[in-house]
Amino acid sequence: MDCKAIRDLVTDLRGGELSAEAREHLSKCAGCGGFLREARLVHAGFCALAEEAAPEASLGFASRVVRRLEEWEEKGARREFFETVGRRFVYATLALTLALLLSLVLPTSGPVRGVAGTDFLGLQTNSQSSQPDVIGGDIGDSHDWIPGRLPD
Amino acid sequence: MASLESEASREIESIRRAQQGDSGAFGPLVERHQQRIFSIVFHLVRRRDEVEDLAQEIFFKAFRAIRSYNFQSSFATWLSRIAVNHCYDYLRKVRASRISYYSEMTEESARELERKLESPQPQGLDHGEKITLRDFVGRLLARAPADDRVILTLKELEDFSVEEIAGLLNLKSSTVKVRLHRARKRMLEDLGRWRQEGK
Repeated sequence: MDCKAIRDLVTDLRGGELSAEAREHLSKCAGCGGFLREARLVHAGFCALAEEAAPEASLGFASRVVRRLEEWEEKGARREFFETVGRRFVYATLALTLALLLSLVLPTSGPVRGVAGTDFLGLQTNSQSSQPDVIGGDIGDSHDWIPGRLPD
Repeated sequence: MASLESEASREIESIRRAQQGDSGAFGPLVERHQQRIFSIVFHLVRRRDEVEDLAQEIFFKAFRAIRSYNFQSSFATWLSRIAVNHCYDYLRKVRASRISYYSEMTEESARELERKLESPQPQGLDHGEKITLRDFVGRLLARAPADDRVILTLKELEDFSVEEIAGLLNLKSSTVKVRLHRARKRMLEDLGRWRQEGK
């Protein structure tokens, strides 16, 4: 048996006995002998720790837990309502902000956004309005139109 | 035998009522399992002043999740699983202690202790030596990663079987065996490093 096999054995030994072969190795190998002493020390420490009793629950522990649960249930419905409403408000605000940001960031003309988009924001400029319609050709005298006066 | 059966049926009745939101029905369940939960928490966390608060949080969590309990495992196992997970989260938040035990233990007393431990089942350890050993392994556990600490505590201190640990941690038994072996080995290796730090 080599040192690795011995140490694997010793690691899981806990309070158990070793085989004659392992004992022979341990009698000759100081390193593994030290490893065995450490393992026994740790095992004895675990045994001593396991003997230590856990603290007892103080008087009325269960009642305090139940009282806390009752309080939580009372508050629960109210809190749940506000949480739901609050969450929806946050989502709505985020969606609105995103829409506004997109409308400001996206170009006022081009393949993504056409004339209708600029109309929506009321941002149509004079230079844009005077440009000829690509599909319909020149829009004629519309740029001469004066509010309050019918065209001739 | 009959009283055991009636106790079991009372427990089932309490669970069903608690599942319908009756917090009063949860009281007897707390009373029945509180000592087991206190023991798990104490051995995992090793801080007496924290045990009750943590146990209260565990029962609170259990009540909130009780609708998910489907009677597949025992209620005690289900509750213990919540306790282990809760303590695991706690341990990951708490930083490990890095104090050397050798500063508090003379070389002579350490050698005397090792001599007494030469037999596989050591006898004749006095109260002071047991306290020293507890302190020593307690500190070693505090240095260990949370995963190792949980699995070693469940096996060595709570005395759960490999199969029970597998059930608690949702692992295969073979995985538990491998993890236990690795955790023990890491602890022994860490002890070697600890000795070097203390010198």
